[in-house]
Amino acid sequence: MEPRPIDTVRLQAIIDGRRNERWPLIPLLQEIQEAFGYVPSESIEPIAAALGMFPSQVQGVVTFYAGFSTEPKGKYVVRVCRGTACHVKGGRSILRLMKKELALEEGETSSDYRFTLETVACLGACFLAPTMMVNRTYYGKLSPPKVASILGQYRKDREEE
Amino acid sequence: MPPSSNEEERKLKEISITIDGKKVACEPGTNLLDAARMGGIRIPSLCHHPDLRPHGACRICLVEDERSGRIMASCVTPAAPGMSILTASPRVLKHRRNIVRLMISEHPESCIVCGKGNRCELRQIAAQLGIGDPELHPIPNYRPLEEANPFIVRDLSKCILCGKCIRADHELVRVGAIDYNLRGFRSRPATLRNMGLEQSSCTFCGTCVSMCPTGALSIRGGGYVGTPERESPTVCGYCGVGCSLQLGAAGERVVESGPSHLPDTVNGATLCVRGHFALDSLNSPNRLTRPEIVSDGARVPVSWDKALDFLAGRMTEIKRSSGPQSIGFMGSSKCSNEENYLFQKIARAVVGTNNVDNGGLLWGRGALRSVMERMGWPRSAPLDSIEKAGAVLLLGADPTQTAPVLGYRLKQASEHVPLIVVDPRKTDMVFFARHWARVAADTDLDFLNALAATILKRGGHDAPYVDRFTEGFEPFRDRLLKLDIPYALETTGVDPASLEKVADLLARGKVAAVVGQGILAQRNVHEIMNSLLNLLLLTGSAGPEGGGLYAIPRESNQTGAWDMGAVPDALPGRQPLREDGGRRAWERAWGGKISPDQGLNMVRMIEEAEKGTLKALFIMGENPVRALPEQDRVRRALQKLEFLAVQDILETETSSLAHVALPGAAFAEKAGSFTNMEGRIQRFEPVVKPPGDARPDWEILDQWAARMGDWKPYASIEKVRREIARLVPSYAALNEAPAQAWVRAVEGKRISFSLPVDSKPLPKEPDLPYTAIFGSVRFHLGCGTRTDQSERVRAFPVEGAIGVSRADAGRLGIRAGEKVRVASTLGHIEREVRVDQDLAAGMVYVPTAVHANDAKNLVGLSSPDGPWFPGWKSCAVKIEKLER
Repeated sequence: MEPRPIDTVRLQAIIDGRRNERWPLIPLLQEIQEAFGYVPSESIEPIAAALGMFPSQVQGVVTFYAGFSTEPKGKYVVRVCRGTACHVKGGRSILRLMKKELALEEGETSSDYRFTLETVACLGACFLAPTMMVNRTYYGKLSPPKVASILGQYRKDREEE
Repeated sequence: MPPSSNEEERKLKEISITIDGKKVACEPGTNLLDAARMGGIRIPSLCHHPDLRPHGACRICLVEDERSGRIMASCVTPAAPGMSILTASPRVLKHRRNIVRLMISEHPESCIVCGKGNRCELRQIAAQLGIGDPELHPIPNYRPLEEANPFIVRDLSKCILCGKCIRADHELVRVGAIDYNLRGFRSRPATLRNMGLEQSSCTFCGTCVSMCPTGALSIRGGGYVGTPERESPTVCGYCGVGCSLQLGAAGERVVESGPSHLPDTVNGATLCVRGHFALDSLNSPNRLTRPEIVSDGARVPVSWDKALDFLAGRMTEIKRSSGPQSIGFMGSSKCSNEENYLFQKIARAVVGTNNVDNGGLLWGRGALRSVMERMGWPRSAPLDSIEKAGAVLLLGADPTQTAPVLGYRLKQASEHVPLIVVDPRKTDMVFFARHWARVAADTDLDFLNALAATILKRGGHDAPYVDRFTEGFEPFRDRLLKLDIPYALETTGVDPASLEKVADLLARGKVAAVVGQGILAQRNVHEIMNSLLNLLLLTGSAGPEGGGLYAIPRESNQTGAWDMGAVPDALPGRQPLREDGGRRAWERAWGGKISPDQGLNMVRMIEEAEKGTLKALFIMGENPVRALPEQDRVRRALQKLEFLAVQDILETETSSLAHVALPGAAFAEKAGSFTNMEGRIQRFEPVVKPPGDARPDWEILDQWAARMGDWKPYASIEKVRREIARLVPSYAALNEAPAQAWVRAVEGKRISFSLPVDSKPLPKEPDLPYTAIFGSVRFHLGCGTRTDQSERVRAFPVEGAIGVSRADAGRLGIRAGEKVRVASTLGHIEREVRVDQDLAAGMVYVPTAVHANDAKNLVGLSSPDGPWFPGWKSCAVKIEKLER
């Protein structure tokens, strides 16, 4: 399955909404990522033209921050924590289970653009270790059955669609 | 330029700091690295460059604050009063060594095959710090070598991330082809989408290559000829910006080119693709290396004596049989001042004709003639003044293609001075412009008149200036106030709001007007230039206090060739022939009569050759068969001549027709001087010897003139320079040290307004519905005779695709990459098409110089406006798709 083509009208509308702000580049990139799930390569030139920057400069900012992705991501981005507390509490086995369940390696996206598996250095919720996030939702005190049930939730979504 | 007058003021503000126990005075805010340098203490650095903003990337320039013990990067630390700094304390050295060790541990161990060799700054600094083996585990960062383009090799495994290439690109050249990509260990300079340079917006100016401290960026093809044995400065022989070059030679061959390290040059650390990479044309196999004459229908090599005797003999014969007016002299805006002086002196004093011209006519001299007369000459127009103007008006010019280094200066200035682009095309300058007035082709005159009328109606003109420095204001004002602005704007396609915006921007102070071929080669150029000068007068911009008129010359010595009188209507010093006093002075200086009647210009020479009235032509460093319109017509006209002598560095379309061909020397092979567009006279000395038996052009001229009779040989270039300095007041400094002088200006007279005229509509051809606009590509200069001899330029795919608007492409059913035929009443060309989103419908953009400059076959040699205003910028065409 191919990622959906970019809605250029929507992209331009987002850019035009912020072009006259002061220091608009990063908020603009965030908004685009929010809308499309990543910063599409096609957005670089229109952003540069609107902000009076060189396209290479925009690309430099996009690639500098780990928070911006230039690749399309799945509908659900799973971020498994690899922080010290999670590690002590068995975070490694959670990650192993996740890889097996989703059949994805770290950083990969499923071919149906459903799931993306990532790891992060710390989610800052050590008291809930081991933890992970799916999009913006935190899941803590994970165990293999709990992981399976959470994934089941997101998979069920698909059947409902 | 005079030294800055606020020297004393600067002294008062100075603060004092101590560096390595030595007191150093500097301005507050100076960074410690520069302050140390002023005090004679060199702090090593890899990322600092005086022309770039401090960056603090390499950390080699660490120094220690003696009081606090803090270690800091001196390039980004401003000096504060009372500071005490150590630049080489044991702690500093320890840290500095560690940084260099880390850099080397990441650097490939390929020094032995690296073209940078001993010029590598990383290697030099490591040696100074006594680092051989870094004694660290190597952490190589291999990257594929990029050499798909013929100019620059990128080996980013050798990159130390100093960012000089990126900063040079963003701050000086302002193309923005590269920036840092990713971060940390993976970080590297990259183009958009990490493509090869040839697929990016890179213009191959090579500024990054000359800045790179290591072998990460290098000149392609440099490795095969070895590193230069010696380097010496000269002046670039391509365009009229007059960049200062440093040429590297191995034996008698120029193998490398870069910006010179001299102070106060036009270009600083920058160059363009031509000056940096296209000078391999000097080593072309098509160089003329021995004199040849046509004998029994075949061209045979002969001795210099024989060739010069033959030339002098034939010229003397023709002068005797058909009179001096049957001989023409076509000189060169690429030859030096000294050569142009001798050239026209031979024509006037030895042969006795004013039939002298130079290639400057091709690039708008005809139009500048009358406007310069109005403004008064001599005058210099330093590019530095552009920075001081209130606004820059760029008309019909794309310096990013034609004069790239001027383009950099204008882009840099646009940061402080609003740039207004008036052009039918969206050139690369539009990105930097505060406003782009998109005028329809050939309607600049109406636009300028409407603009002047708007300023007058607002009362926004500079009244004190107009009172003091001009005359003829009242009739001008009365006429313009009656102008119907909306009606005048109708033809231009510019909307009234756009005009108002331009008027607003011009109200901010003096205006610097920069004009290019879009104006200078336009049909009604005479009227446009008059209206433009009126506008400059209105805004108080034609005087010494700032602003001014900058016409972009195409060739290295276009200004100088005119100054030296290699023109049919003026003597050296631009002394008009018809003025008796000035002419008599030259008659006395040279001995003999000079006719007050103007001679034939280039176009007229061809027309007269065609009629058979011009019998002999001496051409020096010009290639009319390729450069002039209607190439076949020009060729046939030259073939009709009884005698054609060509003196050139290359075998060209023209020299192949010659009865005698004399091998001259290129700028790098002789001494001379060029005067650039600013009026900066730059002397140069030979870097290498001319190839084979070739000789400096001034020597050849001197030697054949001596064979014509009454001519005392100069035999030395100093003697020529002394004569020019003595007889041409504006060139009085030509023979003095230093090697760079300025044209000396005289006191200005009042400049008169001229009455505005309406544009005459260009004739419409019903069968030819499109307007072809001709333009240049940055890889070629002029008609491309020399740049076509560059191996590197030839290896780069400059196809000169014809630009067609999206609307027209749709209507004609043409897609990008397909071939079309573009035809005018005179001829046709066939090329690939490029769909240009920014082109207006009805317009076709045709790059010149490529394909033997065949685009010139679409326009007519003889202009209905007379030989001074050729109007070769545009013509009516039809366009049709070619079936495959």
